[in-house]
Amino acid sequence: MARRDQYCDRLRRRDFLHCGTAGAFGFGLSLSQLLAAESQAAETGQRAKSNMSLIIVFLQGGLSTIDTWDMKPDAPLEFRGVFNPIDTNVPGTQVCEHLPRLAQQMDKFALVRSFGHNNSDHGPADHYMLTGYKPGAGFNGGLKPNNQRPAHGSVIARQLGPRGSVPPYVCLPKMHSSAGSAYLGSSVAPFVVEADPNSPSFSVPDLAPPLSLRGDRLDARRDLLTHVNRFQNSVETAANRGALAMDTFRQKAFEMMTSPTTKSAFDIAQESNSLRDEYGRHSLGQSCLMARRLVEAGVRSVLIDHTNWDTHNDNFNVLKHDLLPHLDSAMSTLFRDLADRGLLDTTLVLVTGEFGRTPRINKDAGRDHWGPSTAIAIGGGGVRGGAIIGASDARAEKPATDPYGPEDLAATVYHTLGIDPSTQFYTPERRPIPIVPGNGRVIQELF
Amino acid sequence: MLSRLQGKVDVYRELILIARNHGLRLAVVCLAILSLQPLASSAAADDREVSVGAIAQAVGWNFQNDIIPVLSRFGCNTSGCHGKAEGQNGFKLSVFGFDLEADYAAIVQEGRGRRVFPAAAERSLLLLKSTGEVPHGGGARISRNRPEYARLRDWISAGMPFGSSSDPQISKIQVEPAERQMEMLQVQQLSVTATWSDGRKEDVTQLATFQTNYEALAMVDENGLVTAGANPGVVAVMATYLGQVDIFQAIIPRIEQLDAAAREQLNQNIASDNVIDRQVAAWLLKLNLAPSGPCDEPTFLRRVYVDTIGTLPTGTEARQYLSETSDNRRTELVDQLLERPEFTDYWTMKWADLLRVNRRTLGRKGAQAYYQWIHENIGQNKSLDQFAAELLTAEGPLEESPAAYFYKVVPDPNEMANTVSQVFLGVRIECARCHHHPWDRWSQTDYHGMQAFFTQAVFKPNEGSESLTNSGVTLTTHPRTNETIFAHPLGQPVPQESPVGNRRELLAKWLASPENPFFARNLANRAWAHFLGRGLVEPVDDFRMTNPPSNPELLDALAQYLGDNHFDFKQLVRTIVLSQTYQRSVVPNETNATDAQNYSRFPMKRLEAEVLYDAVCQTTGVQGKFAGVTDGQRAIQLWDSHVPHYFLEVFGRPVRATACQCERVCEPTVGQVLHVLNSSDIHDKLRHVDGRIASLCLENIDNQRLIEEIYLSCFSRFPTEEERAATGEHLRITSVRNEAAEDIAWSLINSLEFLFNH
Repeated sequence: MARRDQYCDRLRRRDFLHCGTAGAFGFGLSLSQLLAAESQAAETGQRAKSNMSLIIVFLQGGLSTIDTWDMKPDAPLEFRGVFNPIDTNVPGTQVCEHLPRLAQQMDKFALVRSFGHNNSDHGPADHYMLTGYKPGAGFNGGLKPNNQRPAHGSVIARQLGPRGSVPPYVCLPKMHSSAGSAYLGSSVAPFVVEADPNSPSFSVPDLAPPLSLRGDRLDARRDLLTHVNRFQNSVETAANRGALAMDTFRQKAFEMMTSPTTKSAFDIAQESNSLRDEYGRHSLGQSCLMARRLVEAGVRSVLIDHTNWDTHNDNFNVLKHDLLPHLDSAMSTLFRDLADRGLLDTTLVLVTGEFGRTPRINKDAGRDHWGPSTAIAIGGGGVRGGAIIGASDARAEKPATDPYGPEDLAATVYHTLGIDPSTQFYTPERRPIPIVPGNGRVIQELF
Repeated sequence: MLSRLQGKVDVYRELILIARNHGLRLAVVCLAILSLQPLASSAAADDREVSVGAIAQAVGWNFQNDIIPVLSRFGCNTSGCHGKAEGQNGFKLSVFGFDLEADYAAIVQEGRGRRVFPAAAERSLLLLKSTGEVPHGGGARISRNRPEYARLRDWISAGMPFGSSSDPQISKIQVEPAERQMEMLQVQQLSVTATWSDGRKEDVTQLATFQTNYEALAMVDENGLVTAGANPGVVAVMATYLGQVDIFQAIIPRIEQLDAAAREQLNQNIASDNVIDRQVAAWLLKLNLAPSGPCDEPTFLRRVYVDTIGTLPTGTEARQYLSETSDNRRTELVDQLLERPEFTDYWTMKWADLLRVNRRTLGRKGAQAYYQWIHENIGQNKSLDQFAAELLTAEGPLEESPAAYFYKVVPDPNEMANTVSQVFLGVRIECARCHHHPWDRWSQTDYHGMQAFFTQAVFKPNEGSESLTNSGVTLTTHPRTNETIFAHPLGQPVPQESPVGNRRELLAKWLASPENPFFARNLANRAWAHFLGRGLVEPVDDFRMTNPPSNPELLDALAQYLGDNHFDFKQLVRTIVLSQTYQRSVVPNETNATDAQNYSRFPMKRLEAEVLYDAVCQTTGVQGKFAGVTDGQRAIQLWDSHVPHYFLEVFGRPVRATACQCERVCEPTVGQVLHVLNSSDIHDKLRHVDGRIASLCLENIDNQRLIEEIYLSCFSRFPTEEERAATGEHLRITSVRNEAAEDIAWSLINSLEFLFNH
């Protein structure tokens, strides 16, 4: 068996959970940014236009797409592996036999099979996929966040602003190292839910007072705070950006704490047991359900960081018995549920790893890292369900048609969300950086 | 054709290089001039209607002078477009046009010659793309009716001449007006005049690019039209053209004049003994800003503790200080603080940020030794020039010379040059590694002159460890010309041979010498920014000729003061915090509410992550616990910036991965607010059985005294009558006294007065 809590570089999963979450909890817009965003939106009409949301299901470690949705049954055995393809509800399209429920939702999402990039390292490839930018010199994957460029979610938060009392960008069930906001600042860093929605004791840290504090004491404290906080609404505060932002955030925080929308958005227990079962009683399933709840409540983008896809050893058993059943229930139910609630047209769902896995099976019955060819699943938000874009070659080693890469993915995501992909931001050093690297193009065949 | 060209280009390059580096550029190039004028000179400088002169001509094209500015002006060669390292869709230009031949080849030869088509210039891909007539990722950049379109077209028609090394070169650009007083919301069109080596002048306004250094004070559009904002202050707008830069500086005073009393007060300040107050008052007078009044004693007490030793006064210390009546008490307090051990801890933390004491890079042992070295130096109040010199010239086994760990943090000569320049000179030179600094005077030669100081520094194995030696022999060469570049400090002449001996020692000598305009100014500016919330140069580590100080006389005076006092840091701190400028109230008056630049009032500064956490611990009387660290350590004493700690991370502790002061973030977020409101850590501290609240409640004191104690420890002041009433009422109606006291302390900790230094 593959060691389930280890990455190939011997870092234990626990290290990723605990080795630091700098900036991991930085959601919030400063007032001036808020006002700037408002006025910008007013100018371009962007906010009025876009009511779109984004859910990224990130399968960290790297999903083996040759074993799932870009199967090569005619390739030699040492490539095609032991799984068989099955028909889907889209005639002519097949997926892996261990994704039977997803096969019945194939009409709701598209596959881009001519996808790839030139990086096969965990850290940089993650950054590449989640920002559209390949990291440059000086990239330090150990930093958390390690972003040289802002993640999609931060760009979306900056461009579209919050929608209601919920934060615009949420990362769960932990911070992903490349989910940060880089030079866009902590105000659009993700709100990180450092807790697994599948845990019976799940709750969002700091969103509610400690349980040991009786409810009436919170009211009393809030009341007291208005009496002792002499800088609240004061001329001093009005004249100081930072203090003003903090003052505003306090209102925002109390809103979040007391807003029934926010509270209920994070309260996964409100879902019926049958739906929770359908998503699957595991981290991936409940995270997908949580993502749907958050989007419904107004969150603009959700990044689900799901680990353990780094199947160097015993790839087929791990996929068959563990990872694929989870993906099958979570992803199929997410598409069905979004569609049934009428949310699919306004929610772009992207399911991908940081890269694919080597088509040639290794000596440990596993597959290694493979940047040059993978397939991404993308649906909702106006994407044609069931569309198959491009193809990889006979052994899924490289794209056989016009290749798409992370730059194109970024352009496509922003385009779908109603953000002009040619938008650019300035770094603190005043270097203009576009949100999409110059050669990124929208994958038009998706629409 | 190219090989012929190549020869000419080489000659040309050499001329420029020699000329530039000797400051003789004008003279040398003048000698080489054949007076072919590629462009007719145009509009007079005082003509605000910008125009570009006659474009087409039969002879005298020069690729650099005529074509590069067009590519720059329309953003073709920026780092986001074709100027990025890998180019764009197969078409790569050098960023800002620093590599002429490569750009020329890219346009004229690459792309199977499709980019230019002299027989029918308008069908050149270069033009079709830039006008958007064929699909172009960058969209339509140049419309067909612009003169620049005609310029590109005619150049192609003429057969894409590269020009000759004897063509005139640009000598300088001049922005007009150079400076003026503007009214708020007023506009000013700038004009940019290029002077060529043949003495010809040309209006290049339409092809120059513009940038402001402070958007709140003035914006500038792409045509050079400056619009003042609604805030008073000093702002610089830079123009760049063909690698030359110049600035326009505007002083934007408040519209209403100050009344006689305010003017009188400022005039008194101008006559003050304190160098700071003199210079600040002079600017405030120019800007029609009246300073806020002095802060009261409790405010000064808390402010100076936090800023000087990163620690809140305890309740006892506050009570003691507030009972003093001596006229000299502020001075006496400052003198005590400067000798406190926390002073050393706090300033070691600040230096450890900049010098990057990082366990992940250095390992536990290394990081600890490096930290300890800084701590000892700060503890001795070693003069800052000496401190920097010892760091720069570190040598020998790591065990004996822990300063050498600096060279472990920045392991190659490029990184060393970048870091030393940014930390000790406040100059960001890394741009000039690959191309001429776009916004400053630094060339690649300047960059590599700094880099060459560090090529001797090489680690060698030594008894199971390592030793820093000066045995490196790598020659520094210019990355494009491959010419050898010998070590020379920024802005100094290029030597013809390598300086003899230990080059890092030579650099250290220059560092604190009067010939170095940066070192003292940079350190003075960093200290000033720490105490007053904003640098005279901002960002603090971005000194450049296009980012001038907001109050140059004050910066010069502070630097002078520092140098005169042998770089005694404590003496500088003492002078700053005893100035009236530092002791102003945060309460704005009717003149200065929108002034964030000129120190007319004290800014509210969010406490730094470690300082804030220590404040919570001290106030609640429950020490912080840090994984892997001996109990009893305070957050400002942590040598390791990677100790896992949610509070410190949320509040923006730097990870010490770069030399940038910007790593330490004090920007508020909702997450911070939520954490202080709801964190179970703070909650547990408040109700801890051995905590301060519990012990206060055990003491035999009445409610009023209890409230006083909490106020003194959180805010360093006594409660007002209204606050006594509100909190007293809460104590009266709450059945459990401890809980009521916890609630009061909680609400104080959550208030802006606690979270900010004010």
